[in-house]
Amino acid sequence: MIINTTINGEKIEFDVSPNRRLIDFLREDLHLTGTKEGCSEGECGTCTVLLDGEAVDSCLVMAFQIDGKSVTTIEATDDDLSIIKETFLEEGAPQCGYCMPGMVLSAKGLLDKNKKPNRDDVKEAISGNLCRCTGYTLIEDAIIKSSEKLGDDNE
Amino acid sequence: MNRLKTVGTSSKRVEGMDKLNGISMYPQDIFMQDELIGLTIRSEIAHANFKANYKKALKLDGVVDILTSKDVSKNEHGVLFKDHQVFCDGTVKRVGDPIALIIAENLEIAKEASKLVQIDYTDLPGVFSLEESLKNETIIHNETNVIAEIKIDKGQVDFDKCDFVVEETFEVPSVEHAFLQPEASIAYLEGERVVVVSSTQYPHWDQIEIAEAIGLDTSKVKVINATVGGAFGGREDITSQIHAAIGALKIKRPIKIIYSREESVLAHSKRHAMEMKMKMGANREGKLIALKGEILADTGAYASWAPNILRKACVHASGPYEIPNVYIEGKSLYTNNPFAGAMRGFGATQVAVAYEQLIDMLAEKMGISNYELRLRNVLKVGSKTATSQVMYNSVPIEKCLRIAEEELNKLRGNDKPNVLTGYGLALSIYGTGYGNGFPDVSNNVAKINEDGLIEISSGFTEVGQGAKTVMAQIASEVFNTDPSKIVINCENTDNTPDTGTAAASRQTYNTGNAVKKSCESLKDKILDYFVNKFELNNKIGIEIENEEVYLKTLPSKRMLFSELSNLCLSGEGTFTAQTTTLDDCGQGAPYWPYGFNALGVKVEIDPKSGHINVVDGVFVQDVGKAINPRQIEGQMDGGFVMGLGYALYEDLNIKNGHIINKKFSNYILPTSKDMPTLKKIIVEDPEETGPYGAKGIGESVTIPVAPAILNAIFDASGVRFTKLPVTPVEFMKKFGG
Repeated sequence: MIINTTINGEKIEFDVSPNRRLIDFLREDLHLTGTKEGCSEGECGTCTVLLDGEAVDSCLVMAFQIDGKSVTTIEATDDDLSIIKETFLEEGAPQCGYCMPGMVLSAKGLLDKNKKPNRDDVKEAISGNLCRCTGYTLIEDAIIKSSEKLGDDNE
Repeated sequence: MNRLKTVGTSSKRVEGMDKLNGISMYPQDIFMQDELIGLTIRSEIAHANFKANYKKALKLDGVVDILTSKDVSKNEHGVLFKDHQVFCDGTVKRVGDPIALIIAENLEIAKEASKLVQIDYTDLPGVFSLEESLKNETIIHNETNVIAEIKIDKGQVDFDKCDFVVEETFEVPSVEHAFLQPEASIAYLEGERVVVVSSTQYPHWDQIEIAEAIGLDTSKVKVINATVGGAFGGREDITSQIHAAIGALKIKRPIKIIYSREESVLAHSKRHAMEMKMKMGANREGKLIALKGEILADTGAYASWAPNILRKACVHASGPYEIPNVYIEGKSLYTNNPFAGAMRGFGATQVAVAYEQLIDMLAEKMGISNYELRLRNVLKVGSKTATSQVMYNSVPIEKCLRIAEEELNKLRGNDKPNVLTGYGLALSIYGTGYGNGFPDVSNNVAKINEDGLIEISSGFTEVGQGAKTVMAQIASEVFNTDPSKIVINCENTDNTPDTGTAAASRQTYNTGNAVKKSCESLKDKILDYFVNKFELNNKIGIEIENEEVYLKTLPSKRMLFSELSNLCLSGEGTFTAQTTTLDDCGQGAPYWPYGFNALGVKVEIDPKSGHINVVDGVFVQDVGKAINPRQIEGQMDGGFVMGLGYALYEDLNIKNGHIINKKFSNYILPTSKDMPTLKKIIVEDPEETGPYGAKGIGESVTIPVAPAILNAIFDASGVRFTKLPVTPVEFMKKFGG
């Protein structure tokens, strides 16, 4: 079936089979391999992308469901996303890195809606993103620092 | 000594931005022209003979081949003993044993074909407990199920001479590494050579194991270590690499294998489950007098590192305490359970659950504080361990303990109503390296590359622990430049020397030393060249800075590193850790250096539901010298969260050799909401043999977590838990709700 969708700001038309998952469409058809697969059942959040601004697990979304919608992946070139990534690096958030694309996108999804999140808001926003390396704390610090930087930019 | 410039700073992770941009390549991110997909057929029975029929599956359109034991040149592998088969050839010994590899045009076809494979099993008696294994009625390999026995025998254990004695049996379960990147490999041919791209902790060892199994000379195999998405010991035993290599060699097309989460849990090792029957005694003055222990470890169907893990457990069973009389007997046993191997702490994690609870139990019996009892017995410079090893420098456990106690006291108070609140303390000790006199060798080559930059080459692995950044910092310290200017070459077995495995918390210490030595050797050669070029008298007063060399008194005499690019200047560095083999009484100097820590936690328990929440904590970590403080904090948080899962949540639920909980929906890992914001304190007491004084901490940071939490649970509820995990159900069973 033909879908019309926007991937990282670029409009595309694509023929996808009805049983194609969004994660496979991104990784295998578009070779956007920044989106990672960790559990295939929506538990780990490594495959998180933004669908019309909402953080979703791309292993639980079918490709046809993005018809008429906009998808943001870690490959997006977006000023806010760059600031978040740079802050993650400064705070020492990444370790093995496999959860990072999902974490960054969950952070972006949160910060688009909540400009000044507190620690609990941040914990809630990434509670669907598992990380086995970091213990989450430096990731949370990075998201809070990102919100401060993004707030400064908007003022 | 000159002030350090980059060592000791929280330099940014060198590969961090690639990971954040999603451009770091894990093996599953590689797509090759003409690639085929491999899907492993695994045993569904724990112990059985089998006959397999692949005829129907082979007829399915799109199935290219099905590899079995017939396709393997030498059908055995293993890190220590060759007790694994590449593909089982008629007998399976555990659920998940590999039987065959379906190779198909795509995964859908491979899955369809897997349903057409017929395997007829004839059950053999299964051994699923330590007790059954010890009977030796069903033998799993060779002549006995006892794969290793170790004894630590120091002094004369006599509990009649103790005024206070406690004893208890502790049981810790088999748990899962749960690195987030499931295993994946892609193998292809380059002329007559096989290239295997995978994620491993030790590319040079994989190279040997692949070559042996496929019957090629090691030089005909190249291993490329792609980005590694966590390891924690679980990538030490080879999984998909040999399978992919056999396929590529036979079919002459690229073979890609990607494990699902469930297959990942089935495929790799687990933490050893252990049963520890322990007895500890002290005199009236609060000095520990005697420790006795029997440790049984379940290594499952394969040995992996069983003898080494058992040794580490037994050596560490006395904790960071000086005890004059110690008798520990350990046995590691085969069963038909999932096989156990390396996991963060490597035996030392398990025994801490025992010794740190025994100390608390003893203090309670004596009527003194658990802090005071620890203080009177911790190792100091000059102390001897249970193996009579002399702790000759960098033994800051007393300092760690004092800080932890002071900080834990600040957390006391403000206890909520209707909630059980408790505070727990635990210390730990961890000896770095392979140990026991085994040559624990690291190698590095430093050179100036064509761009005039320093390049370090060594087959170490960045598993996420930050090794690349640490090595870059060490090299940049020698050459007085920014770590980002150091070129790191560590992924390819063709152009790196073997530097041992990314395990045993040995990379910072061992490979860090090799990197430092090689860089110092290269620096010397650069200075010699400069002296010759400018006809100087000697090397005095020459500065190296930002890829340039100049004479400090006359800076116009200068030279860029790029001038040296074509000269092939290089420095080699080798470092071998100093340990000795244990004697028959388990006496010797089996590991070095030792790292220490102290952890205080506050827990809150809902007495109605049994839900246990770790709400606060203070973590004090000895590091020798912090190369990168922020990365150490990241390790401390990460080690804590792994220990938290071990204590409270993680349960594979193994029934007759079957792992029931092999998905993230039932194998529960801690989330951001379970993690308290720890106060992290780094204690520096430079280790004189470490690079700039550094020690490894990757495993140490997990060890005190479970016992600290268990001690806090006891403090809150009065119930002593001797079995992990303490789930709400388990808590309510004993608390009596």
